[in-house]
Amino acid sequence: MVTTYNRRSFLKISSIGLASAYLAACSVGGGDRNAAEQALRAAFAQPINDLDPHGPSSVDESTLLAGRLIYDTLIRRNGDKLEPGVATSWEQTDPTTWVFTLRDDVTFHDGTPLTARDVKASLERVKEAGTAQSALWTSVSSVEATGDHALRITTEQPLGTMPVNLTLMFILPADKMDSEGFFRKPIGSGPFRVESFTPSDELELVAVDYWNGKPKLAKVTLPYIPETSSQITALRTGDLSILWPVPPDQLRELEGVDGIRLETVPSYVYYFNWFNCGREPFTDPRVRRAMWRAVDVAGIVKNLFGAGAEVMTAPVPSTVFGHAPQEPYAYDPDAAARELAEAGLGDGFRTSLMWFGDTGPLADGLAQAMISDWAKIGVTVEPQSLEKAEWLRRLNAKEFDMDLQTNTVTTGDADFTLGRLYDSEADRMGYRNPELDTILRQAHENSDRDRRSELYSRACKIIWEDAVGIFPAALISTYGLRDTIDGFEPAPSNQPDLRGVTLAT
Amino acid sequence: MIIYVARRLWQSAFLIFGAITIVFLVLRVIPGDPASLILGSQATPEELEALRQEMGLSDPLPVQYVRHLGEVVRLDFGESWRLGGDAFAGVVERLPATLTLAGYALVLTLLIGFPLGVHAARHTGQLVDRLVSYLSLTGQALPSFWVGIMLVLIFSRMLDILPGTADGTPQALVLPAFTLALPFLGWLARLVRNGTLEELGKDYVRTARSKGLSERVVFNVHVLRNTLTPVVTVLGLVLGNFIADAVIIEQVFAWPGIGSLMVESIVNRDYAVAEAAIVLIAVFYIGLNLLVDVLYFYLDPRITLETV
Repeated sequence: MVTTYNRRSFLKISSIGLASAYLAACSVGGGDRNAAEQALRAAFAQPINDLDPHGPSSVDESTLLAGRLIYDTLIRRNGDKLEPGVATSWEQTDPTTWVFTLRDDVTFHDGTPLTARDVKASLERVKEAGTAQSALWTSVSSVEATGDHALRITTEQPLGTMPVNLTLMFILPADKMDSEGFFRKPIGSGPFRVESFTPSDELELVAVDYWNGKPKLAKVTLPYIPETSSQITALRTGDLSILWPVPPDQLRELEGVDGIRLETVPSYVYYFNWFNCGREPFTDPRVRRAMWRAVDVAGIVKNLFGAGAEVMTAPVPSTVFGHAPQEPYAYDPDAAARELAEAGLGDGFRTSLMWFGDTGPLADGLAQAMISDWAKIGVTVEPQSLEKAEWLRRLNAKEFDMDLQTNTVTTGDADFTLGRLYDSEADRMGYRNPELDTILRQAHENSDRDRRSELYSRACKIIWEDAVGIFPAALISTYGLRDTIDGFEPAPSNQPDLRGVTLAT
Repeated sequence: MIIYVARRLWQSAFLIFGAITIVFLVLRVIPGDPASLILGSQATPEELEALRQEMGLSDPLPVQYVRHLGEVVRLDFGESWRLGGDAFAGVVERLPATLTLAGYALVLTLLIGFPLGVHAARHTGQLVDRLVSYLSLTGQALPSFWVGIMLVLIFSRMLDILPGTADGTPQALVLPAFTLALPFLGWLARLVRNGTLEELGKDYVRTARSKGLSERVVFNVHVLRNTLTPVVTVLGLVLGNFIADAVIIEQVFAWPGIGSLMVESIVNRDYAVAEAAIVLIAVFYIGLNLLVDVLYFYLDPRITLETV
């Protein structure tokens, strides 16, 4: 075969090819990166799937986060205090009746005024929605708009948590909320209006002249970035201005980086490791306590989470109303082994632990650390790392020995978790205690702050001492911020208020 | 010809029907259902049962299947519980992002892979040939999720010259498109190299040379044209593969296409969206295959119906 090389023609072909590839790469690079930085880009670690604040995602942190920016509530939470939102004042005229007076200067983004009829329609909608938030409103028997700006809510039983529950109840315009496609570009009365929304991808918001202080930012974009390493990179390169929560094992990627600072706040999210108290051998509280003592909780939390979590002192995080510190279970494997022997399990036993990987940061590591501690007292625990849907199915069917998961006290009030999870009737993990039931019910119905606080401190003590579960770590939310961000207030609910934020250019 | 196309269309319809059935069955056989995900970890058995009734999940599978088929025929996959609104519309909304990514990756594959292959063929056995050969093998062997993360690490985090996530700028297309193109780029280069070598050894090349044509004309006019035919026909399949591979790439780069949508919808048992996305990809793939087969006739007149 004769192959005479004509170098020139080939170089030409290949260089034309390479040059066009290069040109193609450049031609798409025509955009101005700075233009994109004029608006605030802030990423929450979970996707915003749905802007319907009463729908299936009603207690997802991401939907609540968007809801706080788009909609109003009657009452707002500020730190551990409740303050007026659309309602200027409220009063419990008798144990089952609440009367609210509404502001008369609130308008929806389309200019129509917000009235008591909108509040009534919204509350009735969420009550009937059959979603996770509906459970908060089951005892509401009627909602009446007694005037344009006056509202009366009556309940079947006294509902002491009415004000705090209302901090989750977003108000929608009554005559538009049921129209087709409303939640693709919903109308609210909050500080920002929706410019565009692609579910689980990006939410674009534009500031409005809000009755409660016009936001300093003109525009906010909330993109969803699924990959953690991509999130970190985007913050480091300035593509994002705010990122939260930063997972504990990623903190060192951001610590001491020029142009980035970290702000932390203890969150409403915590880990618990439930025992199925209806299954042998966990029916015996001595066994449960022995299991707790066998785990070096303080050591695990420190080594695994570092500054990303704190050791818990009660069955709810310290930021939650109703938290009352308890005596910690000291790490003592010998005492644990003795206690097991007393319970007739001197030779140890076999059991299992189920969890799903995305339940929270470092869930796999936490599960493995506890399992290896249990092995030291002769308890063999089979690890069962499941997919979320299967984990949920087994949790709801109580098909587990032990369950490790995170939980969020969405309202910031102990009623939301203690009241709903540890009641015998709810029967979540086979633990039954009539005394606890009474306490929880009283706390649920009472509206006196001090009395409720005292009741929850008794509830905390019972749950803690009976070791219904191990309560290892409350997560600390870390917000990664570019130095260009000013006026930012980290929020324990992971739902920061962006009204006061400014962005230097 | 018309009979042939009709026959292929008929076969394609069967394939799509098969895809719909398998997707339906697999999604329902895996444990866990949307009702429990909607109500979360605090649901009571009564609430769960009520919601299952309402969503039609308590009906026997054959009943659900027949109802599903009826809906799919009208392109109605139902409502997405997670995203709200029509599932098919939700998928179609994400399609342009995936097509842009796949299209750009195809352009990259062609513009880099083709010249490399030709160049390697002209320098058989030399350093450049072996280099192309090794590099293309490496490109095909590296898992693309790893390549993607490495590219983000180097070009976004360390050098800060390209965005690592879809931030709305056109530059954001470069890294995911390159990651997607890499394995096919090497594959194309080798295909072109081998094809070109084969053509160079054929009689018509010798004839062309012997009648005094310059090497440039022999190559550019005769050889390249013949090399092009198989390349054009496989490109359709490559595009199909791009759309399938996008599932992984889109996760890494936060690319808002149907791949990432599909993964999320399966994890969340959002049956409607998962079915709409998978069926759409299947239809796309089967359609491309059909198109390629038909194109074959036009590009190479030597092929007749009997040889297919």
